[in-house]
Amino acid sequence: MAARCAGRALSRAARSVINAEYNRAARSQTVQRLTCTAAPGSSSSGQDADRLKAVQFADAEVQDILNRITGLDLNKVFQPVKQELKPPKYRLLTDTQLEEAAHKAGTQAKKLLKMPPVLPERKPIEEVLCEDKMLEGMDKAKYVFTDITYNIPHRERFIVVREPSGTLRKASWEERDRLLQVYFPKNERKLTPPPMFKEENLKVMFGQNRHHAVLNYCLVQFEPDSAEFKRVHALTYEDIEKNGKYNLLWSTRLFGGLVWHLISSQRIDGLLSDMLQRDRVHDAESLVHLFNLAHPQSDSALQAQQQQASGLELLKIYADCECQRPGFIKLALQVYEQTKTQSSA
Amino acid sequence: MAASIRSIVRAPSRIFLVLQRIHQTQVTVGVLRAPVITPVIRNFFYSSKLLNLESSEKNDHGVESLKDLSRYKDKPWKYLESEEYIERYGSKPVWANYRRNHKGGIPPQKTRKTCIRRGKTCGNPCPICRDQNIIIHYQNVSLLQQFISPYTGFVYDPTRTGVCMRQQKRLNTAIETAKLHGLIPTQLPFVDYTGEDYSNSHGAVAHTPPPPSKTPDEPWYSWYGSIEPNEHELARVKKIYKSYLK
Repeated sequence: MAARCAGRALSRAARSVINAEYNRAARSQTVQRLTCTAAPGSSSSGQDADRLKAVQFADAEVQDILNRITGLDLNKVFQPVKQELKPPKYRLLTDTQLEEAAHKAGTQAKKLLKMPPVLPERKPIEEVLCEDKMLEGMDKAKYVFTDITYNIPHRERFIVVREPSGTLRKASWEERDRLLQVYFPKNERKLTPPPMFKEENLKVMFGQNRHHAVLNYCLVQFEPDSAEFKRVHALTYEDIEKNGKYNLLWSTRLFGGLVWHLISSQRIDGLLSDMLQRDRVHDAESLVHLFNLAHPQSDSALQAQQQQASGLELLKIYADCECQRPGFIKLALQVYEQTKTQSSA
Repeated sequence: MAASIRSIVRAPSRIFLVLQRIHQTQVTVGVLRAPVITPVIRNFFYSSKLLNLESSEKNDHGVESLKDLSRYKDKPWKYLESEEYIERYGSKPVWANYRRNHKGGIPPQKTRKTCIRRGKTCGNPCPICRDQNIIIHYQNVSLLQQFISPYTGFVYDPTRTGVCMRQQKRLNTAIETAKLHGLIPTQLPFVDYTGEDYSNSHGAVAHTPPPPSKTPDEPWYSWYGSIEPNEHELARVKKIYKSYLK
């Protein structure tokens, strides 16, 4: 707690220093930016088509980087959960058995940190299978026919609706979700979304810093490609980014989604500065590398490709080209380099 | 049990009243009998069940009217920060100093059904009914948390807290609503996304081509005519079901 306050005070002091420096160095900055934007014309067009293809969330490279950035804090991942209390079990282990147990804990933690998928929004189902004028006015209610065979995936299950006007159509996504919950109920999922996902209640939750609880409930309640899922996630990420509360989701399965959202909307400055504050320089480098992969046509990506940069140089290039708050990042890099040289000397 | 005894006791008294009224009408002029008899019949048909229903409604109103008179009926959570509350309960939960009265060493496994019947409170009411200002509301989170274990997250049994069954039900519903609103943290299951296909390419959720125009010569599916059974298998099955085949 005191350490955090000290850290925040330091950052505030640093920012005030930076602002003064930035005002003085404004002209030199603009000169540097001009040199950055002059770069793109040099690369060949043939290689452009291959290298400038932006990566997707599901790519192995992206997943690898995100897993590394997420980190592994065993205390946070295996936090004691409120459940029925049982007396504790003690075991005596040899050294090899202890290593094995630690290894098992690591694999279990990796399973628990597996990221939920980021998918494009699902297109609405609007298909009429048959129009039977004969059945018009037969009943005032709609009839829903669901295929309840056990061993088929839910996305291959046929659910059709017979309207009172006689049309036989495929059920919409919301109807599908509701009926699948009726016939194949999932734990803790409600038929109607709980009032927690309304704006006012979400704000209360954000005020109490319970973003992880909101997102976990969202994962339980909604399908990953539904509109509601995306809306709740977007609101949560916006609130985190506005208040700089990145550490709430660090070392949880939800961090990857947050990072991807920020990268897609090109707003990684806050996260970068937060990482540098917490001395996670390698994570910061991976983040900038991922940004370059996701936006291969951006200035920093092209510059980095030209100079074949890696490590701290990547960060410097990013700070020069794309960053909205370059001063803080440069200062942090300087401090890191100084400490490195001091420790080596 | 007590209600049925009471109804049995009431019945002869009603019959007596009826007989009295009939006697009175017999004494008076016969013309007036008809209008006089209808209230008699109404009394006779005034069964004990109807009386009990009315009294139970009155009971609910009785309980709610007691809490409605409280100063904190609009904002029940304010009471838990007031001086009155702190003086009475301090930092302990509301049910800490309550002790049930029962015969023998082992208490009955259910607490009493309700503390307030027909507007009258019983002796030794439960921790919620004895204090007019303690109102069970889903937004009154600090009160609800007193009835949830901080270690397991389960709601305490009424035999432990001493609340009557009616208040326990109301407490359970309030806690559930609070959990749905996100005011009380819940333990959620881990959602596994491995092995799920989100491509949405199957005909059930994607666009399927319309059926081909009807040509009676062509079979519906292209493979309808071309599949032929294995002859050995066919012979084997025919041999097994020989007696059933024509």
